[in-house]
Amino acid sequence: MTAPAVHASGLVKRYGDFTAVAGLDLEIGRGEFFGLLGPNGAGKSTSIHMLSSLVQPSEGVASVCGIDTRVDPVAVRQRIGLVFQDSALDRQLSVWENLRFSGLLYDLPLPETRERAEHLIRLFGLEEKRDKPVGSLSGGQRRALDIARGVLHRPEVLFLDEPTIGLDLPSRRRIWRFIAQLRAETGMTVLLTTHYLEEAADCDRVAFIRGGRIVLSGEPAALVGDLGDDIVEVSADQPDAVRAELEAVLGPARVEFETLSFRPPQHDAARLAALTESLGARIRSVVVRRPNLNDVFLWVNQ
Amino acid sequence: MSRADQPRELAGAHPADRGARRARPGLWRPVYAVVERDLVKLWRQKGRLLSALVRPLIWLFVIGAGFEATVGGGGGSYRSFLVPGVMGMAILFGALLGALSTVYEKESGVMRMLVIAPFAHRWIVFAKMQAAAVSAVFQALLLLVILAGLGDLPADTDWALLVLSIFATAYACAGIGMLVAAFSKTLDNFAAIMNFVIFPVFFLSGSLYPVGNLSGLLGVAAHLNPYTYGVDLLKHALPQMSGHAADFAVTLDVAVLAGFAVLAFSVSAWRFSREQAYAPLFGFGGPKKGGPGAGKPGGGKTA
Repeated sequence: MTAPAVHASGLVKRYGDFTAVAGLDLEIGRGEFFGLLGPNGAGKSTSIHMLSSLVQPSEGVASVCGIDTRVDPVAVRQRIGLVFQDSALDRQLSVWENLRFSGLLYDLPLPETRERAEHLIRLFGLEEKRDKPVGSLSGGQRRALDIARGVLHRPEVLFLDEPTIGLDLPSRRRIWRFIAQLRAETGMTVLLTTHYLEEAADCDRVAFIRGGRIVLSGEPAALVGDLGDDIVEVSADQPDAVRAELEAVLGPARVEFETLSFRPPQHDAARLAALTESLGARIRSVVVRRPNLNDVFLWVNQ
Repeated sequence: MSRADQPRELAGAHPADRGARRARPGLWRPVYAVVERDLVKLWRQKGRLLSALVRPLIWLFVIGAGFEATVGGGGGSYRSFLVPGVMGMAILFGALLGALSTVYEKESGVMRMLVIAPFAHRWIVFAKMQAAAVSAVFQALLLLVILAGLGDLPADTDWALLVLSIFATAYACAGIGMLVAAFSKTLDNFAAIMNFVIFPVFFLSGSLYPVGNLSGLLGVAAHLNPYTYGVDLLKHALPQMSGHAADFAVTLDVAVLAGFAVLAFSVSAWRFSREQAYAPLFGFGGPKKGGPGAGKPGGGKTA
């Protein structure tokens, strides 16, 4: 029996009167791809900093591969890779020099660093930038290099704090491909935070964090499945005027600006068509679609 | 579901306790990496290197010549009195600017690479202090070559003592810089650091005049200034034709410089082992960015 890759029980972090994390319980198995989801300021980064031994919890215990972050922070840091939300790269050094520097910090012999760095540079498509200063890289390339830096020492657990934040869509897709390739190659455990919920659909498990605690967790497919078959979105100029009528048929509504969202208890196209008919011009549109993780998040916050 | 299960199987293919008993990483390579990186950067920033050499030479020529003309030649030359002082200046500025790059690294985020690396955070202080001292020694040696070319080095220079004094002064000055770096969150107040640290340390030493000439509080300040003993040691190594003797014994100089370097390292290392030293790095997620983490010691040691 081996210890879980990441374990946290009752983790609390307070800064003065402000509670950033309010009792986090987490257990992530070896090789698992885990998503910690939530809005900005929910406590995701602080949680990661505590799990990676950089920030002391005010209460609770965190461990990585069975090693308590307080008892042996150095052994924890040896086994993890951390890609911070903000770059950790040295802009004055080149791509290769950054990886070389990082390799030396992990006490890797130079030939080994070179071999691994060249592999990662190829994997992440940075060959042409190898000897260019980091300052000349695009945002997506810089993030890719930051991830390469985070995995150069072959960590057992990789923490990715908002790896795609601020990137355009093609760059985001590339970053996801890199992460998938790394996981396929090494089988490492990955703990990811993001607020782009659609990106977490590939995770084995996700947990929604809000106000510094986990409010819901499970497999993405199961969580989405729990919402039912359909999400019905009705938009109207005066949503309040039609709300009661719609709720009578479709169940409780979630209101967002001029749109009412519903999770009808069963799929019933005929009934919905009749309802649309009777409301006539009082509504503008009716959309029926499959639920996704965003809906899970929105309904859990209802 | 099937897709979700796949990675677990992949992980199972690896020995589950892979790396459970990894050897502790060594410290030689990380310390070397930090020193090498700072030297490479110094070499690439030719402007910084040039000004490090020009600054002391301006003092030597302008102040030296000016004072000689004012006071009159007298028994010896004021310029030759200034030689140990400007050597000290090159070391002081080199080491302080080197150590203060730590603050820049906290601000720019490069420090993240160091805090996540597998060694206790006091080794960051150790490595940065080595880097600052070695860059200062490098700059002092360049200046030494120029001074030798100009014929400003006395014939009876004690070379062994000179090397010792350059190193000892460099470590003490790196210590001053690390103390400032450990307690500064930003370089916004760099002008304040210049005014309240670098200039007083330089002027309240024996660089420009014998320490005995400073009376009262200024004299006390000069005696408390560790840099004073560095300049004094340089004076021992570069005996002046003017006959101005150094103020203290060589052993006292060495003892003070070494003692101060160790003390400064200990205090800075203690500070850097607390997460508050890294406030700009983690942002402390909360609504009051930086403030609350720095204000209240929420945690304890992290390293």
